[in-house]
Amino acid sequence: MSDFAVITENLRKVFSIRKGKGLIRAATDVVAVDDISLEIPCGQAIAFIGPNGAGKSTTIKMLTGILRPTAGGAKVLGLTPWTQRNKLTRQIGAVFGQRSQLWYHLPPRDTFELLARIYEIPRADYLSRKKMLIERFGIESFLDTQVRKLSLGQRMRAEIAASLLHHPKILFLDEPTIGLDVMARQELRDLISEWNQQEGITIFLTSHDAGDIESVARRVVVVNHGRVVLDDKVSSMRRQYLSSKVLSVKFHDQPATFVVAGVTILKASHHALKLEVDTTLVSIQTVMNEVLRAGDVADITIEDPPLEEVIAHIYSRAKT
Amino acid sequence: MSLPATQKYYWIALTSAKSNLAYLGEVGSRVVFLGVILYIFLRLWQVTYSETHSTSLGGLTLPQMLWYLALTESIILSGPRVAAAVDADVRSGAIAIHFIRPLSYPLYCLFNTLGERLVRFALNLFVGATIVSLFVGFIGVNMTSVAFFICVLPLAFIIDFCGNFLVGLAAFWIEDTVGLQLIYSRMTMILGGMLIPLELFPVSWQPLLKLLPFAAVVYGPARLFVAPQVALLQDVLWHQIAAVIILAALVAVVYRIACARVFANGG
Repeated sequence: MSDFAVITENLRKVFSIRKGKGLIRAATDVVAVDDISLEIPCGQAIAFIGPNGAGKSTTIKMLTGILRPTAGGAKVLGLTPWTQRNKLTRQIGAVFGQRSQLWYHLPPRDTFELLARIYEIPRADYLSRKKMLIERFGIESFLDTQVRKLSLGQRMRAEIAASLLHHPKILFLDEPTIGLDVMARQELRDLISEWNQQEGITIFLTSHDAGDIESVARRVVVVNHGRVVLDDKVSSMRRQYLSSKVLSVKFHDQPATFVVAGVTILKASHHALKLEVDTTLVSIQTVMNEVLRAGDVADITIEDPPLEEVIAHIYSRAKT
Repeated sequence: MSLPATQKYYWIALTSAKSNLAYLGEVGSRVVFLGVILYIFLRLWQVTYSETHSTSLGGLTLPQMLWYLALTESIILSGPRVAAAVDADVRSGAIAIHFIRPLSYPLYCLFNTLGERLVRFALNLFVGATIVSLFVGFIGVNMTSVAFFICVLPLAFIIDFCGNFLVGLAAFWIEDTVGLQLIYSRMTMILGGMLIPLELFPVSWQPLLKLLPFAAVVYGPARLFVAPQVALLQDVLWHQIAAVIILAALVAVVYRIACARVFANGG
């Protein structure tokens, strides 16, 4: 098998949609995915993001064999998904934040038992795998509690553990942290990230949550209008795609009036300023000099803008 | 060694049955509903039998008629909402999730339904039999009745599943399947002989009604339980086998066409 978990070449999907009312309905072609080429090495954690209707789901459905592309090709774990779906299903796992695979009225243990049969996992293998997952995901305490009585955080931990029972080589995660509180969200991200790094499983994450992307993925692929508009490391995405920095300055005394071209005051209080610096118009050094001149500085921090802003910026660039 | 592939479907049915035992609270409402229905029909049939000065109508005595009703009601009321579930899977796109498991979606639905229905039917029958035996006492149920009934009941459930599944798959083509679901369920109730045995329908209708799959779901099993006859068993079995073959083939064809219409919209 190649070193790539996923390879797509000029993947394209066109849907024919009938529009109109009654018997007179004209067929219109809608391009959902337009020429997507990707190479995802085994063991990589990738965030596959884009605005609603960008073509994420269609791409995932082609990669999992649910849909056949109109043109182009793809190999997932060396298999052609839409012709070898049966083989592929045993090697991939999927977690959909909004759709549970756990049986609502039964404890997670029962779903685990059923999945062992569905994936035809040999008994000894299943038992040792289950034991390991229970320990790693910390689900022992609620393994015999009906799913309907679990918190969303507990349920999602059980969901992910269930999706790993059959040793998938790729895990597709669709909005895995949706609806979770801050703590549960971080806990889940850590677990996924840990699993990716320690077990070498390939992670294919779709999420609108910037925190998920930062914590879990090393690489981000942004799609819009069916095309890849960015394919980069998460760490360098900010630097390349947003030419601004955020400066938070605390003064010992009230600073002098601060006016510098290319700097926007986001927030100002008696002893503090929060500034957004457009680095294409003014250098950070110039702004720092002006800040030091404005008053007696007690503390200063320079930050990148939040990832949400970067993503919004990429989406808006792709539109134009 | 890997477990046999077929075992997975047995486990789906088992898990579904277990899951439905969680709904035991529902039994309470069913007791009341069945009690009311059976009481009303007890009174109606008592009047009918006395007004016609008959000890037997359509070949059934009053106690047999009430037991027939308890069985048909138990069959009908045990029917899971297959069409609605398939409709929801199609509409929400959740059907796609089933495609990424080493499973056949129609078989998954079938065994899920059978597991659920088994529990619901057993509870209904227990409640119905208790109420009817309080009203009219026991009828001469013997091992033959039970054996004949057990023989035809699984096929009845499979036929009903196929019909419902086809209605649910219609969601691929039409906006709303609720209307179809209503038509299907009412046809099963009326043409299947839920309230009145087929022998009491006009004579000219009876051959056609007995040919329809609805009779193989409701009338056949119930009639065999209250009045077991080898000839009727053979007749019901042949009809059931033919109905299963035709409907399963139809499910396979429609499902294959429907799968080609799976869209990826909406996640």
